[in-house]
Amino acid sequence: MNTPAPANPFEQLAYNIALQIQDGMIVYVGTGLPMVGAMLAKKTHAPHITLVYESGGQDPWEGPMPWSVGGAATFRRAPMSMEMAHSFAMAANGFVDIAFQGAAQIDMYGNLNTHFIGGDFHNFKSRLTGSGGGNDLSSLSETFVLVGLQDPSKFPVKLDFLTSPGFLNGGNSRMEAGLLGKGPQSVVTQIGVMDFEPESKRMRIKGLNPYCTVEIAQACTGFELIVPEKVEEIPAPPEDILMVLRKEVDPHKIFIEFPPRVK
Amino acid sequence: MSAKFFYNEEALDNLRISDPSVLDRLIDHESFRENNLKKSRLKVDKRMSLHDAIAKYVEDCDVVADSGFSYVRTPLQAHFEIWRQQKKNLQYIGSPNTIHSFAVFTGCCNYTHNSYCGAEMRGTDRQFSKAVQNGKTKILSEWSHGSMGLGFKAAQYGEPYVAAHQLLGSDIIKYNPYVKEVKDPWNGQPVALIPALHPDVCIIHCQQADMYGNGKIFGPAVNDIAVAFASRKVIITCEEVVPELSIRFDNSNTVIPFMIVDAVVELPYGCLPGSCPGHYYWAREWWEWLMRIATKNDVAMQDFVDNWIFGCKDQYALIDRLSRDMGGFGYVDNLRRMEKAEEYLIEDSGVDFTYEPVIPKWD
Repeated sequence: MNTPAPANPFEQLAYNIALQIQDGMIVYVGTGLPMVGAMLAKKTHAPHITLVYESGGQDPWEGPMPWSVGGAATFRRAPMSMEMAHSFAMAANGFVDIAFQGAAQIDMYGNLNTHFIGGDFHNFKSRLTGSGGGNDLSSLSETFVLVGLQDPSKFPVKLDFLTSPGFLNGGNSRMEAGLLGKGPQSVVTQIGVMDFEPESKRMRIKGLNPYCTVEIAQACTGFELIVPEKVEEIPAPPEDILMVLRKEVDPHKIFIEFPPRVK
Repeated sequence: MSAKFFYNEEALDNLRISDPSVLDRLIDHESFRENNLKKSRLKVDKRMSLHDAIAKYVEDCDVVADSGFSYVRTPLQAHFEIWRQQKKNLQYIGSPNTIHSFAVFTGCCNYTHNSYCGAEMRGTDRQFSKAVQNGKTKILSEWSHGSMGLGFKAAQYGEPYVAAHQLLGSDIIKYNPYVKEVKDPWNGQPVALIPALHPDVCIIHCQQADMYGNGKIFGPAVNDIAVAFASRKVIITCEEVVPELSIRFDNSNTVIPFMIVDAVVELPYGCLPGSCPGHYYWAREWWEWLMRIATKNDVAMQDFVDNWIFGCKDQYALIDRLSRDMGGFGYVDNLRRMEKAEEYLIEDSGVDFTYEPVIPKWD
C-alpha cells in the first residue's frame, strides 16, 4: 500500500480540533472545520459524544456533513428537535460541555469579533455577519474553543468590536461581568494550539504543529504570546486517522482541500 | 416625536438614533394586547391567495419578523411577494436575518434589527455591508441569536422581559437600545434584561395547517413558535392544507393554534429557493450565485433580483427558471429525494449529493 500524502494544514487543524473533544461530551457545533473536527472525534477517540445545533437539531443519526447548522443533517432522524431559545438554554443550564467558534478577530484574552473590520460601527472597512449564536455560546457554554487562521491582523491587540466574550480584560473580569462557564479553553489555528495562562488569562502557546516554531507563532500574532517553559510538539495525525478524515468525514473535500476551494 | 419607552442613551448615541420613537412598536405590549382583543374569535376559513394575504396583512412601516432559519423553512416566496408589492419603510427582525439583505436591496426594508446576516460557509454578505454603510438600511439594534430568541419567548409567555446571562461584557449591549444591564435582585450579580419583542407581522411556513390556522411544524422550530405568539398579525403559508380532523386525530407537531392566525395560504414549494424539512432540499446554485456573484455589486444584484424575484410571479416560475436544463419535474424530484435522503426518511446510499459549483472555481 502506498503511503498517504502527509496532512495538509486544514487536515492538521481538523485533527487538533478533534483532540479538544473528550468522549462523552455534549458538543455544540457550527459549520466548517469545527464540524469536521467534531465528526472526526466521533469516528475515532470520542464515539459517545452528542452533537447539538443552534437551530434546534440535536443528536442526529450519523450521516453526511451538514452544509448549514439548520440543514437536514442536523436533525436527521433526531429523537427530537428543539427551539433556538431552548438550545441556548441548554448551554445556560449546563448541558453544553464544549462549543467551537470562528472569528475574524481574536484578542489576547480570547474575546471575539464577528461584527466588522476596520473603522467604526458606521464606517467600517467590511461588515461581517454579526453575532449569530456566537455571543450566546461564549457567554453560556462550560467552555469553548476558538478556531481560526492566525495572522497579526486576525490576532490584534485590540478588537474593532467585542462580539463574544472570552476572558474580557483578563483576571476575574469574565466572572465579575456575570458570564457563565469557565471561558475559552484553547485556540486552535494552523500554528498549533494555544491556551490561557490561569492567572492573567492571557493567551499562551501550548503546543506547536510539526515544522512550526515559537518565532513563527509570534510572527503570526499581533500581540505578545506567553511562551511556557516547555512547548509541546503536536504530532501529525496518524495514518489511520488521516484516512478516516479523508474517506469518511469529508470525502468530497469540502473543507479539507488545500488550497481551499472557493465556496 | 417623543418615544413611549426609556431606551439606553448610550446605545441610542452609538447607533445615531435621533428619533427613538421608531423603536416603540417592537416592545409595545399595550398595543399588542389591544390588537389581540380585537382579533376575530371565529373559527372560519382563513384561506386566501399569497397576493391577498400580503396585500392585506403586511402594511407599510410594519415590523416584519423573519422566520425559519435563513434558508431552512423560511417562507421566502412570501417575502418575495412583500418585495414585489413594494411595501415601504419596513423594519425587519429575525434570528438569523439573512434575508434582510435582499429586502434592503428591493427598497422595502429601511430598518434592521440585526443578529446574523450571511449564509454561513457560503460567506458574508457584501450587499448588506454596503447597505449599512451607505444608510440604505439603518441598524436599530444588535442582538445574538439566543438573546433575541428570549425576547420572543418573553412575548409568548406574556412576560414584560426576561433576565439573561448573555450579552454581558460585550459591545453588542452598547448597540442595543432595548437591553438593560441591572443587578439581579436575588444575588446582586449583573444580568441583562431583554424585553418582550412584538413584531407587527410574521409569516410562518408550516408543512401542514388546516383552513382555520392550526399549524404543524416538522423539524427544528427555530424561533417560530415564539414569533407566532409574539406577533400582532400571523400569516401561515403551508405545503398543504389538511382537514381539521386529521390534525385532531394526530395533534403531534401542532404548535400554532387557530386563534392567533389571520391568514392561511396553501403554498407548495413556498420555501424555495430554501429548503423545507420533509419536503425539499435547497437550490444550492441559487445561493452560490447570490453570495458569489450577486452581492458583489449593485448591477449584479439588480440583475439577480430582477431575474429571481421580480421576474418570477410565483414559486412555479422560479422552479422553471432553476430547472432550465432538466425540466421542472426532474429538478423538483431531485430536491425532494435529497432532502428525504439527508433526513434519512429514504435510503440515502443511492442519492447523489455531489455538487459542482455553477461558477468556475477561480473566476
